Amino acid sequence: MQNGWIRFVRGFLVIKVDGDYLERFFNMCRMHDIDLWGIRKAKENEKDICMCEAYAADFFKMPPLLKKTGTKAHVVKKKGLPFYFPFIKKRIIFFAGVIICLALLNYVTDYVWAIEYIGNLQVSDDELSDFLERESIRYGMKKSSINCEEKEKKLRETFQNVTWTSIYFEGTKLFIEVKENEKSEPVQITTRGTNIIANEAGTITSIVTRNGVPKVKAGDRVEKGQILVAGGVPVYDESKSIVNFQIYDADADIYIRTPIEYKCVINSGYPVMVYTGDHVKMGFAEIGGYHIDGMPVWDFIEQNILKKEKENLYETAVEKHQVVLLDNIYLPVYYGSIDRKEYYIKYFTYTEEEMKNKLSESFEKFILGLEQKGVQIVEKNVKMVNSSKGMELFGSLLVVKQTGETADIPVNTAQENETN
Amino acid sequence: MSAGERFADTFSLPKDMVLNATLFHMVGASELFVENFKGIISYTCHNILIKGNDMKYCVCGDCLMIEYYSNEDMKISGQIKEVKVIRN
Repeated sequence: MQNGWIRFVRGFLVIKVDGDYLERFFNMCRMHDIDLWGIRKAKENEKDICMCEAYAADFFKMPPLLKKTGTKAHVVKKKGLPFYFPFIKKRIIFFAGVIICLALLNYVTDYVWAIEYIGNLQVSDDELSDFLERESIRYGMKKSSINCEEKEKKLRETFQNVTWTSIYFEGTKLFIEVKENEKSEPVQITTRGTNIIANEAGTITSIVTRNGVPKVKAGDRVEKGQILVAGGVPVYDESKSIVNFQIYDADADIYIRTPIEYKCVINSGYPVMVYTGDHVKMGFAEIGGYHIDGMPVWDFIEQNILKKEKENLYETAVEKHQVVLLDNIYLPVYYGSIDRKEYYIKYFTYTEEEMKNKLSESFEKFILGLEQKGVQIVEKNVKMVNSSKGMELFGSLLVVKQTGETADIPVNTAQENETN
Repeated sequence: MSAGERFADTFSLPKDMVLNATLFHMVGASELFVENFKGIISYTCHNILIKGNDMKYCVCGDCLMIEYYSNEDMKISGQIKEVKVIRN
């Protein structure tokens, strides 16, 4: 017994047989290795006939048997693949297109066309992208060339806080799944030996030292770069002479009163984008790095056929989508729309009042920024002056702010200290 | 019991092989597989007469159809009512 698919591939015939010795005919077919199936009785013009099916190739073996048994056979229907060839031949381009499409689909699904990161909170997407770049994993590369297990190991080695990784494919999308260690390791503090130096010149208003030796006190005037707290702490012997220095990282809260200058210039003329109302929206397609859109054609028509005067300044917004099959098969085909608005630049002039308001606004923003940083404003003098171009604001502030930046203890100083 | 049957029983051999007997395999009342037969004697919608080696078998029923008929076996489908053995 052969299944229906084999029969379909080999091609078979539905035959109507009629005669007095049908059983003998069937038996003879059997003896000559002619397979028959679907043998059933039917009525035609109130006469009993028999329908059966047989392979098309076997039909040519039947004439001697039919003659011997006095049976007549008529082919009612031809079924199977061999009988479809003329049909396929007529529509060869369609079938060739289907086959090429399937072949192309099979080809592009061997490559990576999308990458997604899952579960990363501390490690950013950019860091993971850089890692993939270093490992030569990029869009459009063959999936089989990526050794997922090896890359997983490297990913764990590169990012210490990543405890578990999984790199896998779903369709043409590469998934980088990570799990991070939520409990952060205690930070290992190593003492380098640093001083605290003044960021700017001014008068110290308060100093609270936690680590190191303070070199200034409240009310002292200091210059920029002067050491405020030294990281080298002297060790005295019984005769109160220095025998050694212990090196620390100086740490202190130091506040300084210092002047700050602020200058802001505003031009009386300012540019404004004015849209002409010429608005073009057009679709585009991008296949394997080749971009196709109708904008150049549109520009050509406008310039040469419609003879429009163009400003050649455009604001362009692009909406881009990637073609995805069955949710997971990302293809290197993009489509979307380009929204282009034409504009030109027009210059307007501020009035004096407007310029004053603008300058005041920017100065207030500056003050707000200082206050947010914890800077205390003690005194402020503001002056607005008209200039040839527009208006200028000069601000002179006296503020109390935190100062001090860490600087490594110079090597020669440390050595001198040690020798002392 | 014939000598052949005794021989088959003694050596636990399949009787259809030893005796060259026709083998019937029925699935429910709608399918019947027949093996080791000589041919069909008559076929109508209501009965099919099958020739075995030394006896005939009559499959009676309604809407009987020969699903396939090959050198090795055949399959009969339809509403099978009875299978009779006709001894010569």
